Amino acid sequence: MSVPNAIEVVDLVVGVDELSAVRGVSFAVPARGRMGLVGESGSGKSMTAMALMGLLPPGWQARGRVLHDGVDLLTLSDKALSSRRGRTISMVFQDPMSSLNPVRRVGDQIADVIHRHMGVTRRAAHAQAIDLMTQMNLPRPEQLARAFPHQISGGQKQRIMIAMALACYPQLIIADEPTTALDVTVQKQVLRLLNAATRERNSALLMITHDLPVIAAMCDTVAVMYAGRIVEHGPVQKVFRTPRHHYTRGLLDSQPTMDNIALDGSSRLHSIPGMVPPLHALPSGCAFHPRCPAATDRCRTSMPEIDATGAACWHPVPVAAPAEAAS
Amino acid sequence: MSAAATTPVPARPKKRRGRRNLTLTIGLVVTIAFIAMAAVSFFYLPHNPNVPRIPDRLLPAGSPRYLLGTDALGRDIFSQLMVGARTSLMVGAGGALIALVIGTIAGLSAAAFGRIADETISRSADIMLSIPGMVTALVLAATIGSGTLTTILALSAFFTPSFTRVIRSAALSVLQEDFITAARLYARPTWFILLRHVLPNVAGVMIVQFTLYFAAGILTEAGLSYLGVGVTRPSISWGMMLNEAQQQVGISSPLAMWPGLSIVIVVLGLNLLGDGLRDVLDPKLARRTS
Amino acid sequence: MPVYIARKLAFFLLAVFAASVLIFLLIRGAGGNVAAVILGKDATAEAINALSRQYGLDRPLPVQYFDWIGNLFRGDLGRSFRTNEPVTDLVVSRLSISIPLCLSGLVLGLLIAIPAGTYSALNSDKPVGALIALLSQVGIAVPVFWAGILLSLLFGVRLGWLPTGGWTNWDSNFWGAVRSLVLPVISLGLILGASLTRYVRSAVLDVMNQDYVRTARATGMTRMQALLRVGLRNAALPIATVVGLQIAELIGGTVIIETVFSLPGLSRMILANVAAREVIVVQSTVMLIIVFVMLVNLIVDLLYGVLDPRVRLTR
Repeated sequence: MSVPNAIEVVDLVVGVDELSAVRGVSFAVPARGRMGLVGESGSGKSMTAMALMGLLPPGWQARGRVLHDGVDLLTLSDKALSSRRGRTISMVFQDPMSSLNPVRRVGDQIADVIHRHMGVTRRAAHAQAIDLMTQMNLPRPEQLARAFPHQISGGQKQRIMIAMALACYPQLIIADEPTTALDVTVQKQVLRLLNAATRERNSALLMITHDLPVIAAMCDTVAVMYAGRIVEHGPVQKVFRTPRHHYTRGLLDSQPTMDNIALDGSSRLHSIPGMVPPLHALPSGCAFHPRCPAATDRCRTSMPEIDATGAACWHPVPVAAPAEAAS
Repeated sequence: MSAAATTPVPARPKKRRGRRNLTLTIGLVVTIAFIAMAAVSFFYLPHNPNVPRIPDRLLPAGSPRYLLGTDALGRDIFSQLMVGARTSLMVGAGGALIALVIGTIAGLSAAAFGRIADETISRSADIMLSIPGMVTALVLAATIGSGTLTTILALSAFFTPSFTRVIRSAALSVLQEDFITAARLYARPTWFILLRHVLPNVAGVMIVQFTLYFAAGILTEAGLSYLGVGVTRPSISWGMMLNEAQQQVGISSPLAMWPGLSIVIVVLGLNLLGDGLRDVLDPKLARRTS
Repeated sequence: MPVYIARKLAFFLLAVFAASVLIFLLIRGAGGNVAAVILGKDATAEAINALSRQYGLDRPLPVQYFDWIGNLFRGDLGRSFRTNEPVTDLVVSRLSISIPLCLSGLVLGLLIAIPAGTYSALNSDKPVGALIALLSQVGIAVPVFWAGILLSLLFGVRLGWLPTGGWTNWDSNFWGAVRSLVLPVISLGLILGASLTRYVRSAVLDVMNQDYVRTARATGMTRMQALLRVGLRNAALPIATVVGLQIAELIGGTVIIETVFSLPGLSRMILANVAAREVIVVQSTVMLIIVFVMLVNLIVDLLYGVLDPRVRLTR
């Protein structure tokens, strides 16, 4: 164990009543590592993130192990978890518009986190907050700190959110679609900031997105989720250049590039037939089989595990036929 | 978007739907029983509720010929309750209905006829809302005298501004829908759009609000009649019966129980009915208020 | 903020003006000849004319209106026709009952509703939450006077702890006065609390599902801290609005509860004057109540401005 993990997830199952949104997920993000978690809406990637943070909606339960900072987070009380949230593990959410407290000044909201976890005075926390805002490339931080969330732009709000997440130099930052709600022009700046700032602080990053190029640009490893399971897992280069799971391949093929977009109807842009199955009607065996071009009877009856190929598939895509690279 | 929103969260659908149906059923049963009681009172009463029979005074419940006993003047309690139901029905439904009609017209106009109409109607409604209904009733009682009609008038004056506001906001959200834009593109006149497209879409809200204000009307009427500025004999009100019970025999009498219980049961029933209907007819509103 | 305050003040003045015109016209218009109403059915034409002249009721309506309003501003509410006492003197002593009663009822209602509504919202899928919701639903259906009757039956008649009615003056017997107000305040507060509980519950349910509460938890607040520091602070906004709307309802409850417990408050005075057809006294005292309600609403609006930066800074 030369490099301790920022987080290690073992056999995570997340569900409510009889239904499971996450069905046995295992992965690890090494310290200072950067992992991408890809999947469509409903694949269970956000639920995985909420389970790691201990912030599941009422009624939802998580089983398995989530090892972080020497403890299993799933065994901790709300109070013990609270002392870690925002300090050793923190999260950036999808929608900055609604994620900030509308009745508190943004500077105070950053300072609150520092004051809570770092044992410094309010005044010192506030000075650090201003400092942090400067590092986030926010213009005129002293002035902006006094603004309420409704007075600043979406990009600025997400920078504030990132500042709050980074404030205590956490070992791991989970970013759940951090740019989906932002204007395209702002997206790149925010991602660049997130990338640089996490590296500076030696924080590991778990990037959750359905945006493959973002993963390709920012992450070392990637896990592809489908119907609550990881179907393919490996180094970004390998997975994206030689996908072994038919779902991964389908995802990569459905990425628009300059080559495959054509407006004259001769488009070579693929889509995966069918839809993500709902939780209460998951197919037997490999959950992807109804949509899979290579499905056989075996796929319908027994569920594959991830093997040496890096994919959980009975009939992996041959390496000889590389898919188009995503980036 | 939270994870809960991107993943369809089945938040115990079975249990909740069961509770919803129960609400609606209880509400419906109570309301029908109440209306039936009022309706029967027109054709059949065990006794004349206004004729005193001194020898039979203050009989306990369960006496022969008097199901729930008699009051201090020997009048049959059950017959009085039946006529009281009639009054509650007439005044509560009447007040709510007038308010519904005026409020719908005003609310639709505010939503559809531009800023000046909206400001005028909305501000007027705000002003009227800060005049307590009790005060309106007192003023009317002082000037035109108390009675059933006065009470209905007071209630409708009291409820109209609330109706106006609810209908206005419901109509505004309907008017933002794409099919309204389409209708406008076809150059349909505003009144046509209101009648043909908006009204049917706010009908659910109207029914729910009517039910809830029906209940509120019964409560307010009882209060006014208790004060002696509402319904007067020969009409009978549950509130009036409570007042008489308290004045004639003191509050410890069981006479103070029956009318009070009747009010609670009927108002609770109507409110449950309204809530149940809201879940069925107006899911958007239900999510906000339940 | 100054613009916001100015707007609210302007609306308050407009509302008071509109309401005063409305009340004035209602009394003059609906009742016909005020002097005839005061004197009753059997009055002779000469008597009616004499009274009209004495009270200036024969002057044009606008003159009468501004005369009335002018006097109100000077604190002169007119004189009783029968006893010739100045209404102002009558009112002041009665306000010393009605205002404490009304405001304590409001405070008690909030003290019940905020914890009960919050608790039931946080436990909405447990039996306790459902029980509180049910109790609040039942409480809404109970007429305030019946609650008063039941309470005085229990604590007054059966247990004999508290008076079931009557009043001693604040000056002569302070604790006696307090004791007289206990049951009325509890009746008002319980019933108001029942309906407020419902609103608090839905406001808290709504707020606790907001993304910013999740952010608060994700940055290290415990569930309780997130509720107290972020949740309730934001839920205060819709609750303030509802409280403002409930004030009119509360006044109605106060009128009734004063009758239940035979408290010589303002509303009992109005009722007596309604019965005696003292139209002018009714007109003035009713206006007083309306101004009070509008004043409370103004305060709620200004409070809203303080609570919500979005209102304060953008409008």
